[in-house]
Parts: sequence; structure tokens; C-alpha cells
Amino acid sequence: MEQQMTEEQRKELEEKIKNMSPEELKEFQKQQCIFCQIISGKVPSKKVYEDDKVLAVLDVNPAAIGHVLLLPKEHYAIMPQIPDPEIGYLFSIAKHISQSMLRSLKVEGTNIFVANGLAAGQKAQHFMIHIIPRKDGDGVLNISEHLVPLEKREKAGEMVGNRMNELMGIQKEKVLVQKKVDEFEKEKGKEENSGETEKDEDEPAETEIVEAEFEEEKKSKKDKEETEEEPDDKSDQEDKEDDDSDDDDSEEEKEGPEEDTEETDAEDDDEDAKDDEDSDDDSEESDQKENDGDSEDNSEDDVDEDTSDRGNSDLDDIANLFK
Amino acid sequence: MKCDYCEIAKKEIKDDIVYEDDQVIAVIKDLAPLPGTVSLFPKEHLTIIELAPDSLVDHLFKIANKLSVALFESLGVQGTNIVVQNGTAGGQKVPHFAIDIIPRKENDGLDLQWKPLQLMEGEADSAFSTLKDDLGKLVLGADEKKKVVSSGKTEVVLEKEKTKDGEENYMVKQLRRRP
Repeated sequence: MEQQMTEEQRKELEEKIKNMSPEELKEFQKQQCIFCQIISGKVPSKKVYEDDKVLAVLDVNPAAIGHVLLLPKEHYAIMPQIPDPEIGYLFSIAKHISQSMLRSLKVEGTNIFVANGLAAGQKAQHFMIHIIPRKDGDGVLNISEHLVPLEKREKAGEMVGNRMNELMGIQKEKVLVQKKVDEFEKEKGKEENSGETEKDEDEPAETEIVEAEFEEEKKSKKDKEETEEEPDDKSDQEDKEDDDSDDDDSEEEKEGPEEDTEETDAEDDDEDAKDDEDSDDDSEESDQKENDGDSEDNSEDDVDEDTSDRGNSDLDDIANLFK
Repeated sequence: MKCDYCEIAKKEIKDDIVYEDDQVIAVIKDLAPLPGTVSLFPKEHLTIIELAPDSLVDHLFKIANKLSVALFESLGVQGTNIVVQNGTAGGQKVPHFAIDIIPRKENDGLDLQWKPLQLMEGEADSAFSTLKDDLGKLVLGADEKKKVVSSGKTEVVLEKEKTKDGEENYMVKQLRRRP
């Protein structure tokens, strides 16, 4: 379309683009976007999977036979623009597509590949995930690796780490405050019944519940309930005495105790979530909790079922290649 | 079996950790395509992504996105690549599922472009139908139900209705064909 434009028209267009608001620009990009046209069905494609949020099609310029592009139906140019829930959903589907390739195309491996920005090799203005079936020695994506000097590594680590902390910062700060309160209570708990020792909690249960708590913090900044819950914390912290006396606490003051508090808090939250379910307390917050609690409960099942589902020998073969 | 990534997760190997929570850990890679490449992996030892439950995949990629943003903003790069190498044939080197986030600049010398295959007409057809069939089963089957349940109750109903509709249409078609 643009090639047929005269010089004047092009200038006009450029001027128009310059004056556009971000919303208008997005709309404009959308109109120009070939993948949006594929999604709306104006351009034909080979759809392997479609639901209300995503579309997966065969790439017309594939790196290998069966190369799939997974697109969000909403127009996003790059990954940072995409809201978190959608990222999670997209890549979960990507996982299933990859799994499907291993199972049905009998390939030996896959690549899940995203290019963000022109410098990374992104060609279209529509975010997409490439899922590429791989066979030994096909030479599709050879990423050669070199040893990075320690100095560069440390510098990059510091910069990225700091920025990452800032990005995740709200939660960390909150946890730190909570940590001190909990630590204090733990100390008290220890003094009160120092003879009591109990075994650690099951690992999987802990990790899953923590996520529930993590997300909850994000959602509700005020979170008054948390402080109200504290009295309950005590009993659990006593149970957790073993964890707390762990050595990493002293070794890494920042991280060790933090985790512990998360664990204990999360546990309470989860219990509460269950209570809420029973008593049908219908404030928004408790609803959230209920959902979180639910999803975490399920994810435990997922682990079990997922592994059992996969009596599939193909998958095991690939997983065992390393042994 | 010895696994480098598990040892990092257990802090037996000191490495430049840029992010850590209870489920995942992210480090600056020492052997990397470009300096500043971050490797994000679950603490649990899972060889390939397919072995990770959806909830974990979900969490990992949310963090991967944040790491990508962090790379953009802290290293001033112009792009990022997010790569999962799955299976030795896919270029996987460590037997522990990991997501690599590679910071990119123009002319950084890294070429991740593949050569497009010149396919004959219809050459990809069988792959297409196999994949489509398999994904159809997979998504509306048990796997998807589990995932949908965990992401929201209303969607379960929707998915179920969809299958029902499909079945009905199919039945209706069958009926029409008969005479």
C-alpha cells in the first residue's frame, strides 16, 4: 500500500503519525497490522488453535515444518505492554503447543522464542511467540555461548538486580515490615515454649500458598486484614520454629527471614480463604482470597495429574536424554 | 544426578542472583550468547517445560516479562529475546528447564534468525492437521479443564458449552445428511 504513495502523501502520513496520541497510534498500528487482519479473518491462515484470547497459526515462513506462531488477539507491539494475566495465559498455551509437538509430530525438541523490538529481530508490530519443532542437527536456532568476564557479570547483575527489586519493590517493602513484626513474635514464641520441636511443613504446600499471598499483596495495598490476622500467626510460628532456627537466616538477613514470614503469613491467609469459603463472607477481598486459595489448591493437583497424565513415552524420552 | 541449576537454587554455587522468590530464581549467566543474559528457572528440578504445571509456567513467564523490562531499563538495551530451549535437539545444555532472557542491541553480532524453509505446496499439510487435531483434543480435554478451573470458574462453563454446541452441530449435520 505504502509503496504506491507519492512523496507528498508519505510526508502527510508521517506528519499525521507524529501528531497522534498513543491511543490513536495503537489504533493506527492495528489497522496496518497483518496479524490483526489474520486474527479478524481478513487474511487467510492455517489455524491450529483458537480461543477467545489467543490464536495459533502455522508460520508462512517457517523455520521447520510445524512452526507455530501464537498471537494474542489484542494488539500489543511488545511484551512489556501485555498485562500479567495474559502473559501467563499465553505461555501456558505455548507450553501445551510445545507438548503437542513433541507428542504428535514426534520431534525431539522445541524452541519457544520471543523477539522484543527490532534489535532482537522482531519483524511484525504484533507480539508473538514462536514455537518451533526441532530435530537433532537441523541447525535452526544455534545459540553459541561464550564465557562472560566476571566483572561484566557482576556489573550487569547489580544493575539488573536493583531494577528488578524496584519493579517488584512494593511487595518487598511490605514484607520487610511484616517480617519485623513476625520476627518479634517468633522470638516470643520461642521463649514461651522452647522445648517444643516439630517437623517442617511439606514443601509443596508452602510454595503454593506463598503465591496466593504474593498476589494478594499486589491486589490489596491497604490490606488491613493482615494486621488483624497477626494474633493467629503465633500458633503457626511456633510450629515453624524449626525453620526459623535455620542457618541461612543469619547468613542472609534479607532473604532468609523474609521467606519465612511469607510462609507463615501465606498459610494463615490460605486458612482464612478456606474459612471465608465456608462462612460465605462476601467482601471483595475474601472473594479474591477464595479464588487464590482455590487456584493454589488445584495447582497441587495439577502437579500430580500432570505427571501421571504423561505416561506418554515421548515426553519421558526427551526428558531422559540427559541422563 | 548433579545439576548446576539445582546447586544454584540451593546456594551451593554462588552466582549473581538478580531475582528470587519461593518458586523461581534468576541469575546472570556466565556462559551466555551476550553479556547480561539472564537465566530464569524454577527451583524445583524439572527437565523440560512440559513437566512444569501451568501455574508454574504462568508465574515464570510473568517474572520473565519483568526481567525483560528490567533489562530494557537498566542496561539500556533496544530489545530482548526470550528463549526456551527444550530438549537437547532444541539446544538445551543443562538438564533443568530454564528461560533465557537475552538483552539485544543493534549490531551486537548475535544472529538468531533462521532461514525460512522453502516448502512445496501442501508439504506442511500433514503437520498442520496432526497438530490441529492434537491441540483440539488437548485444549478441550482434561488438561485444559484443569487449567481453566484454576483461572476462573465461569470459563469452565464456557468451554463446556462450546463442546456441547460442537457436538450438537455435528449431530444435526449427521441428521441432515441421512436422507
